[in-house]
Amino acid sequence: MRYSYIKPRKKTALSKDMQLLFTFFGVTLFMLFLTYSFLVFKDYRFDQTRAEILQEEIDLRKNIQEMKVKIALIENQNILSERVYTKNTVLKDSIHNLFDLVPGRITLSQAKIMENGLVLYGVTPNKDIYNFMLQAPLRSIFHRTYSSFYPLENGWFRFVSTNYIDEESSDEYK
Amino acid sequence: MLSKILEALYTKVFINIIVGDTTSIVYVEVVPKGEVTSSYSQSFSTNVLDTEMHDYLKTAMSQSPYHYITILDKSLHQGAVPTCNETKNYVDISTLNSICIDKKWTVYTAQDDIKDLKYEYQSVGLDFIFSPFIILSKFFKDKINSSLSIFALVEEKNISLSIFDNGTFLYAEYLHTQTDDLDDSLMMDTIIDDEEISLDIDDSIDLDDIDADDDIGSLDDFGDIEDLDSDVDIEEFSEAKDIEEIVEEKEVSIDDFNDDYNKFIMIQNAINNFYHDEKYESSFVESIYIADSIGVSEDLKKYLEEEMFLNVRVRKISLEEELSEMARLEIL
Repeated sequence: MRYSYIKPRKKTALSKDMQLLFTFFGVTLFMLFLTYSFLVFKDYRFDQTRAEILQEEIDLRKNIQEMKVKIALIENQNILSERVYTKNTVLKDSIHNLFDLVPGRITLSQAKIMENGLVLYGVTPNKDIYNFMLQAPLRSIFHRTYSSFYPLENGWFRFVSTNYIDEESSDEYK
Repeated sequence: MLSKILEALYTKVFINIIVGDTTSIVYVEVVPKGEVTSSYSQSFSTNVLDTEMHDYLKTAMSQSPYHYITILDKSLHQGAVPTCNETKNYVDISTLNSICIDKKWTVYTAQDDIKDLKYEYQSVGLDFIFSPFIILSKFFKDKINSSLSIFALVEEKNISLSIFDNGTFLYAEYLHTQTDDLDDSLMMDTIIDDEEISLDIDDSIDLDDIDADDDIGSLDDFGDIEDLDSDVDIEEFSEAKDIEEIVEEKEVSIDDFNDDYNKFIMIQNAINNFYHDEKYESSFVESIYIADSIGVSEDLKKYLEEEMFLNVRVRKISLEEELSEMARLEIL
């Protein structure tokens, strides 16, 4: 219901001074509250960050352990690979040496290389050539050497040469 | 929220100022909890805010921070029109402050006068400025809704006249009887064109010729509503009489011309205007209710009864109390 030509002035129970005072205190309290809120927030954020960092640390430690295990495994694999490589090199050299041992007049048909032995199958024109040119070097390498001959129709001999290195020497070789 | 609580706790002081012709009355009501516990008033022999009145107002204001200063609008350029939306058909609304009442009619006053009033009272401030027409409509609420009558708020020098037909607003005019300002008020209130004034002065009827017979004749014309449009002479006659009245009043002041008669003439003219102005819906009015704030003499009543054949009812009004009640209604 409005029948007046003008609106009533705004009334307040507080005088100008009191209003100023209350405004001042209000602003101060507001700023304090704002600071308190800011600190509470920062504290909360700090706690949160701390928890995150702790969790991260745990994760990292876990990762380090896993990595250590992986490193050990990789090191073992490395050692194994080196060993395999060395073995392969030795084997390659052995084969190379073996083929160097075999003279041109003797023909090998099969060779079995074992852990501590070597079995050669082949054809030789005669037993002397075998004995002097192949058995002699084989004897210098292996401890025990056994040879068997089978005569062929053309007068040549098929031979089987079985050579062994004794266990002690084999271990040393390893 | 807090201010609402404080407002409810605090005592309210309603300070009402009634400015008369030569005196002003300050009426103070103390309202602690929605009910008036005490009231007092003081009369000052001034019609402007002088030091004494200012001090008195300040003392009253100091009783509570929730004090409301109310004043009755005395603008000569105020009135009311029977519409809320089509006000421009009646008055130029651009320079006026207006309030729509019950979505039926509008009270208005000059913006400049409101500004002047606020300026005059700026040292104490004003909270409410009420139109006397609103006071009148509230005061006669019971009668307004049940009859076709003239309702007049009679003050020392002013008459707020309105006509209601069973709750429907028909017409209103603010009449000022002060001699010095009479020209202005008539110019505004009766909406007379300058040309008409100049033309009609010579043909005007001498006041001495105004007797009961003439009035009866004119009243017959009043009754003949259908002929109003064509009967221009009546309007000219009445307006001419106003002008003659101005001249006469100065002359007869020596004879202590009856102020009530002056009021009667103004009421009569206003009613004439109502009947003749095509903008307003005319109805024949047989009764008048007077809200008497100054002590209307029997003479005015007699004039209205005998010369206009109106049924006159006079009801005493305490303007300051009505004003205070309006302010309370606005706040509480």
